Amino acid sequence: MSIAAESICFCLPANQLSAMRDHLVFYVNGRRHTLAAPHALATLSDYLRGGLNPDVSERLIGTKIACSEGDCGACTVLVGESNGDRFVYQTVDACIAFMFQLDRRHVITVEGIADESHFTPVQQAMIDGHGSQCGFCTPGFVMAMHGLTERNLTAGCRESLSDDQLRLGLSGNLCRCTGYHQILAAGASIDVAKMTVVDKRFNTGAMLAEFDSLGSVRLTGQSHDGTPVAVAIPITLEELLEVRHEWPAARLVAGATDVGVQYNHGKYAPTQVISTRQVGELRSVELTNDELIVGAAANWDIITNVVETQLPEYHKILTRFGSPQIRNMGTLAGNLANGSPIADAIPLHYVTESVIVVANRSGERSIPTGKFYLGYKQIDLAADEVIVSIRTPLPPPHVSLKLYKITKRRDMDISSVTAAFWIERDRGTIVDARVALGGVGPMVVRATAAEAIMVGQPFSLGTMQAAGRIARDEIAPISDVRGSTDYRSQLVENLFAKCFHEMTDETALLEVT
Amino acid sequence: MPRQVGTPLPHESAAGHVTGRALYIDDLPRRERELVVTFVGAPVAAGRVTRIDTSKAVATPGVVCVLTHADLKGHRCFGPIISDEPFLVEDEISYRGQPVVVIAAETAAAAKLARGRVIIDCQKRSPILTIDDAIARESFIGPPRTMTSRLAEDEVRFSAAFDEASHVLAGRFHSQGQEQFYFETQAALAEPCESGEVRVISSTQNPTETQAVVAEALGLGMHEVVCECHRMGGGFGGKETQSALTAVMVAMVAKRTRRPARMVLSRLDDMSITGKRHQYQTDYRVAFYDNGRLLAAEFHFFSNGGAFADLSTAVLERTMLHADNAYHVPMMRVTGQVCRTNLPPNTAFRGFGGPQGIAVIESCLEEIARQLGLDAADVRRTNLYRDGDESQSVTQYGQIVRDHVLVETLDRLIETSDYRSRRRAVERFNTHSKTHIKGIALSNIKFGISFTTKFLNQANALVNVYTDGTIQVSTGGTEMGQGLNTKLKQMIADEFGLAADRVRMMTTSTEKNNNTSPTAASAGTDLNGAAALDACAKIKANMLAFAATLLSNPSEGLVASTEHVCIEDGHVYDDRDPSRKIEFGQFCAMARRERVDLGARGFYATPGVDYNRETGRGNPFFYFTTGAAVAEVTIDRFTGEMTFDRGDILMDVGQMINPGIDRGQVIGGFIQGVGWVTNEDLRYDDAGTLLSTGPTTYKIPNITDLPLTLNVDFIDNPKHTKNVRHSKAVGEPPLMLGVAVWLAARHALSFVAGECPLELAIPATGEELLMTLSKLQRDNDDAKANRNGSAASRSSLVSSLVKQP
Repeated sequence: MSIAAESICFCLPANQLSAMRDHLVFYVNGRRHTLAAPHALATLSDYLRGGLNPDVSERLIGTKIACSEGDCGACTVLVGESNGDRFVYQTVDACIAFMFQLDRRHVITVEGIADESHFTPVQQAMIDGHGSQCGFCTPGFVMAMHGLTERNLTAGCRESLSDDQLRLGLSGNLCRCTGYHQILAAGASIDVAKMTVVDKRFNTGAMLAEFDSLGSVRLTGQSHDGTPVAVAIPITLEELLEVRHEWPAARLVAGATDVGVQYNHGKYAPTQVISTRQVGELRSVELTNDELIVGAAANWDIITNVVETQLPEYHKILTRFGSPQIRNMGTLAGNLANGSPIADAIPLHYVTESVIVVANRSGERSIPTGKFYLGYKQIDLAADEVIVSIRTPLPPPHVSLKLYKITKRRDMDISSVTAAFWIERDRGTIVDARVALGGVGPMVVRATAAEAIMVGQPFSLGTMQAAGRIARDEIAPISDVRGSTDYRSQLVENLFAKCFHEMTDETALLEVT
Repeated sequence: MPRQVGTPLPHESAAGHVTGRALYIDDLPRRERELVVTFVGAPVAAGRVTRIDTSKAVATPGVVCVLTHADLKGHRCFGPIISDEPFLVEDEISYRGQPVVVIAAETAAAAKLARGRVIIDCQKRSPILTIDDAIARESFIGPPRTMTSRLAEDEVRFSAAFDEASHVLAGRFHSQGQEQFYFETQAALAEPCESGEVRVISSTQNPTETQAVVAEALGLGMHEVVCECHRMGGGFGGKETQSALTAVMVAMVAKRTRRPARMVLSRLDDMSITGKRHQYQTDYRVAFYDNGRLLAAEFHFFSNGGAFADLSTAVLERTMLHADNAYHVPMMRVTGQVCRTNLPPNTAFRGFGGPQGIAVIESCLEEIARQLGLDAADVRRTNLYRDGDESQSVTQYGQIVRDHVLVETLDRLIETSDYRSRRRAVERFNTHSKTHIKGIALSNIKFGISFTTKFLNQANALVNVYTDGTIQVSTGGTEMGQGLNTKLKQMIADEFGLAADRVRMMTTSTEKNNNTSPTAASAGTDLNGAAALDACAKIKANMLAFAATLLSNPSEGLVASTEHVCIEDGHVYDDRDPSRKIEFGQFCAMARRERVDLGARGFYATPGVDYNRETGRGNPFFYFTTGAAVAEVTIDRFTGEMTFDRGDILMDVGQMINPGIDRGQVIGGFIQGVGWVTNEDLRYDDAGTLLSTGPTTYKIPNITDLPLTLNVDFIDNPKHTKNVRHSKAVGEPPLMLGVAVWLAARHALSFVAGECPLELAIPATGEELLMTLSKLQRDNDDAKANRNGSAASRSSLVSSLVKQP
């Protein structure tokens, strides 16, 4: 073992040895690009707009920058990843995607979606329907709509986009001028049946063949101020563990949906990065009868689809988690490891008592979610370890589960307070109560005192109100831009009663009599 | 050729928008030797600079120049009304982030590095941040203003009204500011010209002001500065004055280095240092009868102007002019005062003070209805201005409101929105639901069109017809997405009977149109359209004279007559011999050869508007744009989360030049207004630093905030025969209809309030709603406890909410 560890190159199979690269390979609008450090650590939008690649003289200025926070979607592009026989295209915010995340990917910008002299049905619908005013957000909307039509077309669905599809699918794109109504109408008028999958516009076969022949990446170089930088893009778990061992100080990056924002705000300067998203073994999401197993590199989009029927509460939260663009990049492991007290996923994993499986070269260990957090953004993960998967027990039939994400704006907003309730009842009496609260302190917490007084009590409004009052005293939320201490405390208290009503009489909600 | 006016022609830049080929400042090709410009802002909100050390920044590789106030060549201050805002801090710091140092570098990376290396030492003072602070420290901008309706002039009589009336309502109303959130941040590019002149390409609503301010800062004549703007990625008022700062910084660099220089603010910098909609605090007192009819009202408006005057006094003026909104108040006294604080100077934002005035009286009417147990829509109807009824037509500033359809609009909207039965359904819902409360409300708008500063109501336009029959048009109007250029194109195409694609709108430039007004006050099409038509009329007069002779045939008895010449369907002909048609392009070529002038400059000044701000009297408005909206909301009793369920809008915008664009303006404005009253929440820390500096923390409406049902319709108004093509301005008025959503929230809370006073601020965020719900609950509990004579015990919010009828 120790000999093999000295240099991973010597123990790699011959095909991977030959494939190990010191540069990125990707395509933009069907055109091949290669890139070395330090530009591998630039953002995609800087790359496209700034023409960082000396081979490319054109600046692709159709990708607009309005926020640099992955929040407005003006920079939306399509990113295609090989699924073996075609590209699967998903929308991505170019402003917070790092170039190293685009290795072996095909990027389509608004310039590449149509020929110079033609409009796509999406573009034509936006023109005819007055879907643009100032036009600055419009390329992003056009690309997001293409993401939706592409998804329908590859699923063999040639129907027009539904209102629901459009609203949820465009919730990662902000517009300040139109009030969205004409954009929605334009989207609904797109004749999807007349469209073809975007793969047909490009020499897809050749791109796929090249990507499938490429192995992992290790590149090193210097940033503009002379700092050494390095990026590793392992594609097997073995490679990941190896490079993690070699580079204990490196930042593990999955979707980069948080560090991308920090980078743009000057709060994160990438030096040594290990990208986890391309590790094949970590990308599966498995649902058994009693357990959900999520690989550390699976994106939210896949997880959301898998949990729809068996964990509807989780699905409900996830459809409001970030935006489609964010869910296409971000991962559960990233959300958990980032450790923000307002991370939307954490409360569920507290009350389900999920297990976080981590590994290093020597083997695996399993950590209960509640023990994974040591302090504000402090996690129990050694310098040579990576998260492999998250195993989440599904609530048995006699357990009621409710999840809450309270935000200022319904969609695309970071939570003020999050909560999860797991209540097990036996003939009207609470036999097990687990309540996790986020946004009320430096870490997500279990409201243990509130849980304690619930157990053994009848499941009633009175019990829940009493528990809510106790929970209020268990927490110490701060006042910040997302809400005051009083507001957060009141929310926590009230959520117990809300949970009671929703668990007892779901149909009573919003019913006009 | 079918007429273009009245058709929903796509936006003239739509093709550029959807392909990404439409260029904004940051998209323009890099100039040779171009520099990247950035700035360093003041580290505190109030204090004095004691030392500026730029040595480390200067020494940074790639940095070309570092400038401070000492490098200004001309004026040191600017301001559209009062020149009190320094371009760069000299010693006094007035707000956090106020530009102190300008840096120009070869690359963005070098500029960023240097930015972090400037040292600004200062003596900090405790900042004035709130209106209350400013009032306590008598920190004001401009004089106090008053506006008193004729009947309220007699103080004794005015006071007596409050004794005579059966009811009086008094209180204090709070509305917060709002960020414009134009998508393209403030941006400008300056190019030095051969003899020291400067050309500035700016994302600005106000090229003339930019030209003047740059000239002043650089010590140049206005003739040595050209400012141009091809388009903006949104403006909303935020680029009426404040675009100047960016322009000055790049112009300073271009002048100093003789190199092109560009600056595009980051969203964080833009939100941190630019002004916003004004925060207001209003003390009000309203006297009314049993039927809800208003008798007398007084409104004392205080606005948070920020550190410098900017447009604040004009904004406040419009607030006072809209204190009545669409309602006749027989006796009204209005006062206003701008407060000076240590926030960035607040500025124009769509509505320009109107929303803050309108919200107060709409809130009062809602509360009056609640106290009287009446339907608020009926109370509103009772108080609406009545066209033709002199006793109910005169505003507090003396202008007669005429030729309107306010009552018809309200009546029709009540029908089409099914308001009455939905209101009953809301009441039923609220007696049954344990978890949610609903509310429904109607609000009106009457918005005065014209700049209240008389001289701004003018425009000029340049129309050039070429020998192939195509046309270029230049005006002082700027395109920010509102469709001005599309509308002008349609109007001008019709003048010459051409297809719209024969007319091209040119980049706005002070080179072609001088002394122009900002594209603001909703009046862009009114002013520039009328000026362009004036130019067309001049050209057509030349054409008609030439055509009359050309088409005459004395031997056939066809004498030259301009009255018989038609310029339509792409041809020129005499209607007495329509078989002989000359194609328009050919005709233009012939005209040139006969030395006929095919270009003209047009001019327009709005007739009959004037206002005396000393006396608070006059006819500031050419006409009014009016409308109404109904909104229904549902609020979660436990979390305060609100959903906007349905909206119905009905507006009189005259005869629409482009119904597709007007519809977009109505919905876009309305949703912006909804943002102001719901989730757009500017938060500052105690030191005066803005905390909500990007879309992550400042939440403009999302597509999922759009109600599932949104009906938008327009009402005919044959009485409106003014203005270009009998259209009406549409940019700002619909924004204020967003208040209906806030009123609906207030209506919902009224079901919890019982007998307790109900106060709700703007914006009604989830937090504001939940905390108000909780307070109402406590008040109700206390009231109950007092009635029972037992000690007040604080039961939970929920249990008694459920008991609410």
